[in-house]
Amino acid sequence: MKRQVFLIAGKELKGMARQNSLKILFVIIIMLLGFALYAGYIAYKQQRIMVDTAQKERRAEWLDQGNKHPHIAAHYGTYVFKPKTLLSLFDFGLDTYTGTSIYLEAHYPHEFMFRPVQGYGNMIRFGELSAALVLQLLLPLLIIFITFQTFTKEKETGTLKLLVSQGVSIRSIYLGKVLAYTLIVFTIMVPFFTGLYIVGVIEKTSSVISNMGLRILLLFSVYIGYLWAFTNFSVWISLKSSSARNALLTLLIFWITTGIIIPKTSANLGETLHPLPSTKTYKESIQHDIENGMSPNDTKEKRMARLKKDYLQEYGVDSLNQLPLNFGGIQMQEGEEYANKVYDFHDAALYEKFELQNRAGSLMGFIAPYIAVRNLSMAFAATDWYSFNDFQEKTNTYRRHLIRTMNNDMAKNSRYGEFYEYKAGRNLWETISDFKYLTPKVTMIFKYYWMELASLSLWVLIMFILIPSSSKTN
Amino acid sequence: MKLILLLWQREGISIVRNTFQMIMLVTIFLLGMYAIYYGYSKITDQHKTIKNVEHIERNEFERYKNSFYSDHTTVKEKQLFDIASNPAYAWYRHGYHAILHPHSLAHMSLGQRDIEPYYYKLTGTSLYYQLFQSELANPLKLYVGNFDMSFVLIYLFPLLIIAFTYGLYTEEKENGMLPLLRLQTIGLRKILLIRIAFYYILIVGLGILLSSIGFFVSSEVDILTISLWLSVVLCYLSFWFALMFFLISLKKNSSLTAISAASLWLLFLIVLPAVLNVYANIMYPIDNTSLADVTRRRSLENEEDLDEAKAVVLEYLQNRNDLKGVDSLLNVNIMAKAYAAFTALNDNHHRKEVSDYFNQIMLRQKRISLFRWANPAVNTQEILNEIVESDSEIFQSFYLSIESFHKDITSFYVDKLFLNKEITSKDYETLPKFNLKTDSQDRNQKIRNGLIEVMVTTFLLFSLSWILFNKTTF
Repeated sequence: MKRQVFLIAGKELKGMARQNSLKILFVIIIMLLGFALYAGYIAYKQQRIMVDTAQKERRAEWLDQGNKHPHIAAHYGTYVFKPKTLLSLFDFGLDTYTGTSIYLEAHYPHEFMFRPVQGYGNMIRFGELSAALVLQLLLPLLIIFITFQTFTKEKETGTLKLLVSQGVSIRSIYLGKVLAYTLIVFTIMVPFFTGLYIVGVIEKTSSVISNMGLRILLLFSVYIGYLWAFTNFSVWISLKSSSARNALLTLLIFWITTGIIIPKTSANLGETLHPLPSTKTYKESIQHDIENGMSPNDTKEKRMARLKKDYLQEYGVDSLNQLPLNFGGIQMQEGEEYANKVYDFHDAALYEKFELQNRAGSLMGFIAPYIAVRNLSMAFAATDWYSFNDFQEKTNTYRRHLIRTMNNDMAKNSRYGEFYEYKAGRNLWETISDFKYLTPKVTMIFKYYWMELASLSLWVLIMFILIPSSSKTN
Repeated sequence: MKLILLLWQREGISIVRNTFQMIMLVTIFLLGMYAIYYGYSKITDQHKTIKNVEHIERNEFERYKNSFYSDHTTVKEKQLFDIASNPAYAWYRHGYHAILHPHSLAHMSLGQRDIEPYYYKLTGTSLYYQLFQSELANPLKLYVGNFDMSFVLIYLFPLLIIAFTYGLYTEEKENGMLPLLRLQTIGLRKILLIRIAFYYILIVGLGILLSSIGFFVSSEVDILTISLWLSVVLCYLSFWFALMFFLISLKKNSSLTAISAASLWLLFLIVLPAVLNVYANIMYPIDNTSLADVTRRRSLENEEDLDEAKAVVLEYLQNRNDLKGVDSLLNVNIMAKAYAAFTALNDNHHRKEVSDYFNQIMLRQKRISLFRWANPAVNTQEILNEIVESDSEIFQSFYLSIESFHKDITSFYVDKLFLNKEITSKDYETLPKFNLKTDSQDRNQKIRNGLIEVMVTTFLLFSLSWILFNKTTF
């Protein structure tokens, strides 16, 4: 049987090699893949230079800000810029739609600013060409074009009957065809991912992304699984269709429905079912809770009165002036801590809404494998929502540490009631180390994207089941 | 006429009998209805947010106005009156809103309305501190895009056209009907055109029906907007019919015609715009990292140093000829004046950087729009966005109008501050008002040019196909 499978695969490959239109399509896909990778690399380089320069400038600004009161320094603050991960040259993911810089200052945790999408104009809604897009949407279309008549043509010309009458099982023919098309997919994928791996290894300057080798290997596996399932499905449709036209139409409808319509509708539906508040409402509710407290006993006035009482009791003194610490700094930090609590509470609720919205899409991955592979690809390239969220959380932690250090210094080194009299200097600024970012470990992806992994595995499994049994001859 | 009716009747019967085609028609209709619902719900949410911010603004200013008539016996009343009447407090506390109201048909083509902020809260403080805030949004949702009416018309309707027309000629040949048709006195081209006309009326009719439902749910629509929208729909769908007529004229087999049509759909709707977006990104990179610094909250180096404060005020007054002679009033409210002067000087200092950033964006968009004519799908999307004012240009006008609004706000308060004048209750009748300044002539020209470009392409394609049909042999 093995021999038959290889013979049929060889025959299929020869047949394809004779078709000029397929050769042209194949070349177009390779060219698009090459262009996408090249453009991704240029964009990555440009962005890296911009981010590195800006980050160095802001760091120098922070260190050279001169002598000033720590609270003024906390307001002066600093900036963090989102670095591009090396694998973003393969999959831009959500990079265009998430902000690129954030201002870190006391009292106000700002939102990320400057979404690159704002600089494109209307056309950006049609998408960007990345290597991932070519593999997720265009290569499957090439697979459709080369496979839709693989069985129907055999049926129309009568060669299928001839083969079966000679004792060749449908299973052998089927496997031979799938093998041939899988080999074509491999001829694109193997050199491409080898190249990507080499770039990943050579480009040592990138310390943002962890487990690079493993990520590329996982990307390769996910895409191979997806494209193999797609190939199998296309061959199966061809086997089951009465004519080439029917097979083509079925496959094109499947491609458009699962690649264009379902991803869009599910994301939109997710948003309709779990709407986000407006920034205005969101910020107002946070400010309200900071001022009035999250419980009746926690109003700003009551909190401050409690804090004052506790400190006077702890140090056994009658007035704030007698404290060995500047109560002003303690008060400011307490305000920050409470605000952090309120922000954490509201952010968690918002985070849950994002998760619920995205889950609607993830669920649809069971119907549309494109969604599963799209989400996994972004995740392995660290350009997905969870990676952005992780970056956001780390900048938040950095901001809190910066403000806490400034407030503690104020409490420790200045006197109550004084402000401009005390000035800190470079020694204090240097205690805040520069912001460095490293993506979470790749294993986290399995936790966040189990649904996508399950749906893609299910698709692969179903395709195995669909392979005709050896007993089947018609 | 009799022949036309006869052929149309035959096509009608064939559609009714063809379950697949009926399902497609119904599906597109339902998706269109969902698109209207989705767009409408998004715009309704934006209306609610706008109402909310308007309400907040109205309440705030009502409180200020009422404070002129209160006894000012309590501390709170006194504080409120100070904020209402003293420009030293008012200039950075009075919150105004600049709002870009949605067009009455914005729900049909959401354009950039989910990407760009459509309202800003502005006080007299630094414009750039307030200008670059983002609205809360799920990046994955932004990436996927909106399922609105324009998406249905631009992406899905062409698929309907392809599915209904790709086999109009070749299927007759493949079914053996062609020799019979050739025996008729009427030409094949005429028969084909009559049949295409049937689907033209059916699909364009569906487009008009769905658009009309979209108009109907809107509270107010003017005839000109409706006419423009319908003209665009007619032109765009005509383009796809002309394209299909061209492919049919090549008289290839039905599978090849379907593959070619699907490839062209892919080319116009995914590949070309995606390549152009990437090209724009690498050829015209936009560096927003350098701009982040302008959003920093800055203040005087030493807020207790009167000499520094005076120096800042005098520097500011050098550029304010209209305030000449107020130097003598320097000693009153000097710190408030210094802070206001510092903010204005700081904004002036950064004005060029910000304007360079917007110029970079405009240049990039201008360069990309040079390719607009070559892609009727992108052209149509742009025209629809322009008609319903959800395009990127309107947001640029919005930014520019905000700049001038901010100037009005600062001048309203800062002038009074420097002239040592109080804000009176009468002044509340002449508060600064936001006005959106748009270049409607330029907008109309763009719409007109876009429409002409699509029409010319359609006409050329149709003419070419007309000639080609009789010359090509099957």
